[in-house]
Amino acid sequence: MGVTLTNVSKSFGPVGVVHDVSLDIPTGDFAVFVGPSGCGKSTLLRMIAGLEDTTAGTISIEGRDVTDVEPAKREVAMVFQSYALYPHLTVFENMGFSLSLKKTPKSRIKDMVHEAARILHLEEHLDKRPSQLSGGQRQRVAIGRAIVRQPKVFLFDEPLSNLDAELRVQMRLELARLHKQIGATMIYVTHDQVEAMTLADRIFVLKNGKLQQAGKPLELYDNPGNQFVGGFIGSPAMNFLPGRALGRQDGLLRIGLESLDAHLLAKVATELSEGTSVKVGLRPEHLRPVEGGFNASVEMEEDLGGVSYLHARLADGRMIVVETRGRRESLDGRTVSLGADPGDVLVFAEDGGRLR
Amino acid sequence: MTRTRKFENWMLTSGTFVAAALWIFPLYWAFITSIRTEERVVSNGAGIIPDEFKLGAYIDIIRNTNLINWYINSIATAVIITIVVIVSGMMCAYAISQMRFPGRRILYGVVLASFMVPIQALVVTQFILMNDMGLINTWAGIILPQLVVPVVIIVYKQFFDAVPKEMREAVVLDGGGDYTLLFRIYLPLNWGITTALAIITFIMAWNQFLWPFLAVTTEDQMTIPVGITQVNDAFGVFYARLMSVALLGAMPVAIAYLIFQKKVTEAVMISSGVKG
Repeated sequence: MGVTLTNVSKSFGPVGVVHDVSLDIPTGDFAVFVGPSGCGKSTLLRMIAGLEDTTAGTISIEGRDVTDVEPAKREVAMVFQSYALYPHLTVFENMGFSLSLKKTPKSRIKDMVHEAARILHLEEHLDKRPSQLSGGQRQRVAIGRAIVRQPKVFLFDEPLSNLDAELRVQMRLELARLHKQIGATMIYVTHDQVEAMTLADRIFVLKNGKLQQAGKPLELYDNPGNQFVGGFIGSPAMNFLPGRALGRQDGLLRIGLESLDAHLLAKVATELSEGTSVKVGLRPEHLRPVEGGFNASVEMEEDLGGVSYLHARLADGRMIVVETRGRRESLDGRTVSLGADPGDVLVFAEDGGRLR
Repeated sequence: MTRTRKFENWMLTSGTFVAAALWIFPLYWAFITSIRTEERVVSNGAGIIPDEFKLGAYIDIIRNTNLINWYINSIATAVIITIVVIVSGMMCAYAISQMRFPGRRILYGVVLASFMVPIQALVVTQFILMNDMGLINTWAGIILPQLVVPVVIIVYKQFFDAVPKEMREAVVLDGGGDYTLLFRIYLPLNWGITTALAIITFIMAWNQFLWPFLAVTTEDQMTIPVGITQVNDAFGVFYARLMSVALLGAMPVAIAYLIFQKKVTEAVMISSGVKG
């Protein structure tokens, strides 16, 4: 149940922006659509809301096909990036607007708005206009407007993008709390993978209008389905190095890093003929100093206290990022020999597909 | 303040004072003429200093002309024109700006094109049309050809275009349609523009001379600007009465202007494109 998309596509004239997307979001899940700008995530969300027509495929909400149902009858509520509050109405009127359109009795509107205001700590602002509120408060009003409608699905279109960094973290926590409290299905669009990782029960990674991978945040982090997902999920991003299959060693795949005059072992079962070009993916925290690894000279060190990031240059001129933990003497300007455990070495084919 | 600066200020103030005096003089002259007797007006030595305060001309005008009728006609036609122009202009602009239908761009092109056609070029066809419809010497005959004011549509369209599309989408998701959007969201959002456009439309309709002059031939159906010509016809050139009827005719607009001065200035700036 929840929200189900089956072979959904969207074209604007000859330009296709969403291609054959199928996905299933269980009731009560917090789903996040994530991807770079122009990947079609917002279009997909707007299609679920009914603000964009669906060129092909079907959209179901709680088992009901809503593909051709008008937006107001889909039982969804949307929170916009720009809040889209009505500037001439008070917070109370903004939150109760949809109910007043439905001719809900005034006493009921009052109860529902006050309940939403209580959840969002907006009680003392109900008589103010949006212009008298801070960015965070406005965003809460926008969320309150959605809550009051008691929708089956909440849709969030990059709702935190207009907030400063500190407020964003705070609102992120509030959204997570709200989801726990209300328990409704929520779909959240963002290009910020940190938001995706921290909020989501399930992440859907999109690129060029195609669904790349869906799964729990740590599943995507640990087992990216392709090179794009590996590079997109995680901060700092995964390091990629070109390599070539050199055959088997103790049941592990031996990969030559030719430009670095070194090799790595990877836990990959797929049989590759010798000489096959591959991409090696190494997360910054998986790289560690080893004897006989590949050399990297540290050009810059970002010491954040508990964790440090070393920005190091390889022999072939590439830059990589290495994460280290714990206090130690500075490595700035020094050359270190790096390697990784075979289980942490991810291998991708030339076309970006994951080799397992 | 330096001496040069003081001199500059003095020059500017003097220049402004002279310009203001030149501008107010005709009005002043009309006023002192209207409070003199007809004999005094044409006699030698009637200078620019008021030497009489006689309200005879005003009393005569009120008693012996259709002034009250002219007032009623002017007020009724100007108010109806204002309401219809604003409501229809706003709805037309909303449709062009917010709704998707075939021929939308062409329609806007027609609005822009009609903005460029001088009213004088249309009066003959409009007269024939109104005559065929039997509307000469009626309020409808005065009002109908004045109902299309392209600048109102253009100004509203600019405003609607500038409203973020999320606002519209929020209303759609809240269950509202076009009328909700227009009358409950967009209209309250643009009260300033609506008031300004309403004032300027009212003043334009009140001051309209050419069309009501052609569309009305019976004295009791005339508006104030047309009625003034009847005073001249009826009494020959009786300056005191002529000036008094002119001042009485201009008075409502002048009062409205004084009350809504800021809004009128804003309206002129909006409609001329200085301010959006």
